[in-house]
Amino acid sequence: MIESGDDKGFKPASYERIVLKNASEYYYLKIYLEFQEVGISLNAVEFKQLIISALKRLHGEVGAALPVDVLSYEEKTLLAILRVPITGLVKLWSALTLLDSYQNRKCAFRVIQTSPFLLALAGNSRELVLD
Amino acid sequence: MFVPLRWLRETPRHLLVCERSHVRHERSRHASHVRDHAFNCRVSFLIPDCGIVPEAFKSAVAGLGEYYLVKNLSLHELVTEEFINTFVKKGSCYALTYNTRIDQDNTAALLPTGKLILSVDKDTYEELGLQGHPSRYSGKKPMRYIITLDLSESTFGPDSKKHKRIIWALKEKKPLEFDFLLAWHHTGSEESILMSYFSKNQIQALQPKVTFSTLRNVQCPVLDNNKLKGEPEAACSAQEFFEWLGAILSCVGLENTPSSFLSTYSCPQPSTFVEQVLLCTITGFILPEKIICLLEQICCYFEEPKLAHWISLVVHGFADSPVSWRECEHGFLKGGENLYNLVIFRSLDYWLQMAVGAHDDCP
Amino acid sequence: MVRFKNRYFLCEIISDDSRFQQCLDERAVHNTVKNVIARMHGDFGLACCSIAFSVKYLNAYTGIVLLCCRKDFHRLLWSSLPFITYLESRNQRYPCSFNTLHVGATIRTCQKFLIHYNSNQLLALLRNCTSEADRQAIQESVQSCMFVEEEQFHSKDEESDDSMQMA
Repeated sequence: MIESGDDKGFKPASYERIVLKNASEYYYLKIYLEFQEVGISLNAVEFKQLIISALKRLHGEVGAALPVDVLSYEEKTLLAILRVPITGLVKLWSALTLLDSYQNRKCAFRVIQTSPFLLALAGNSRELVLD
Repeated sequence: MFVPLRWLRETPRHLLVCERSHVRHERSRHASHVRDHAFNCRVSFLIPDCGIVPEAFKSAVAGLGEYYLVKNLSLHELVTEEFINTFVKKGSCYALTYNTRIDQDNTAALLPTGKLILSVDKDTYEELGLQGHPSRYSGKKPMRYIITLDLSESTFGPDSKKHKRIIWALKEKKPLEFDFLLAWHHTGSEESILMSYFSKNQIQALQPKVTFSTLRNVQCPVLDNNKLKGEPEAACSAQEFFEWLGAILSCVGLENTPSSFLSTYSCPQPSTFVEQVLLCTITGFILPEKIICLLEQICCYFEEPKLAHWISLVVHGFADSPVSWRECEHGFLKGGENLYNLVIFRSLDYWLQMAVGAHDDCP
Repeated sequence: MVRFKNRYFLCEIISDDSRFQQCLDERAVHNTVKNVIARMHGDFGLACCSIAFSVKYLNAYTGIVLLCCRKDFHRLLWSSLPFITYLESRNQRYPCSFNTLHVGATIRTCQKFLIHYNSNQLLALLRNCTSEADRQAIQESVQSCMFVEEEQFHSKDEESDDSMQMA
């Protein structure tokens, strides 16, 4: 996976270049939960439980065993950053898409941004609102 | 091939390129990498062990200069003789369509080299009738085309056949209108020429938004400037550091135990506690020239002895720009990320980490 | 020629319950396997495995069952089978487990394997048997099974199964 192109021609060890291809172990998703009604709040544990139940419904116990991390969660906005092993991305994304209710109230997960680099989620040019 | 269970595990390709060298090294390429990344929407820098914003940084941030948002600008205005002579040929002119999505809309970008790059869908391409080539990432049946017009070319005179045809195509055949982000970097004369030039259109001058914040008691990974790949027990690798930086910038908690239900992310080891970290974020349409100025300030910062071992400068590119580095085609697919991070060490050694997603060339 | 590729699972159902044989039918096996796939791989896995899923053959005496599903998804079925702990039939639960003997691409290879397997079982019985009468019976059935194998293909596994019974 790692190809190393050390360019040591002119001055030894003064320049080094590594190309890491598909080296990230995790994929990161920025999501928020949308409810049809207003005024429903979840704490972080309930939020994660909801994600696990969505996974369990679509992908069974094997899917529920996927180690999803809720890196950050805001209770007010229901905005969260998730981390998932890179091979589980499609499973998690599909499970989030097909979730339709929480305690019999209609809801939907919206995926705002995804990236194999957590740093990329810090700046989203599509959210750049001027004036 | 029909292999659904493999699709379930497949993920798009991504690259992280790490380079290590010295800022003052004559053949160091960091400045050209910064210059080649034309469209930047967000710049952040992180200074560990720094409580108050140094004056030099304050003035550098204040001098970032303004950029302009022009609404409903016809594309042919950017290829007129007058525009080319006033802006493109004098200094470097940057333009990027605003609120257009590279994976569904037509987009255009003007590079400081004088190249106007249009990324258009198939229908528009066929209507325009300009020469281009299919997008590299659109598969066997191209649905997206790239047209490159070199405005600074000597044969691109006002009477040349080529120029006439381009004007005709953009003005009469298929008029394209966009909201543009514009900026012009030049030496000499005052800034407001752009403002007066586009006074007929709805133009707005904007300042980059700057926020300073101080983070307290942050767990920082230990870095060794000579070891990009890190060393167990001694230094963290560039990749671990890159993830940690993401965690800091997105306000992710670092102290989790491996048995925690919510999250198991923790700071890479070895690490140290830093009492305060200064974080500055600038959002807007930021020119590479200004980023180089900031970089100079960072180098100057280390001229006097300081507590910080390193300073990190993170630059996020526009996900919807048709180019990433140089004129390499850029696409969105799942994230459209194109960003880089410069870590300047006390000894003025630097690490440059460039990350791109699936629809991008290796920078 | 393009065809749909299938995978056939030859399994042995193991149970200690004596009433188990009477309740074993295709429908019970079908439902049990489907339920376990739904539990392990969720709606997605169930939908994938449901394409062309069927119980091709069931022998209630020996507990041998042949399951069929599409090749693309056979790993889902394969990984679910060890998680079966009971068989539900007429609202009664009988504890049992599935032992996968062979995974083949055609029914023919599974059949060949089964014959081979059963004759091996008989030989093992022969080695371990205690009384003279048993020995006689097993020897006879081994011979008959060999003979049938040369003569004609089908019905012999019926025979060998019966001989198992006798043993």
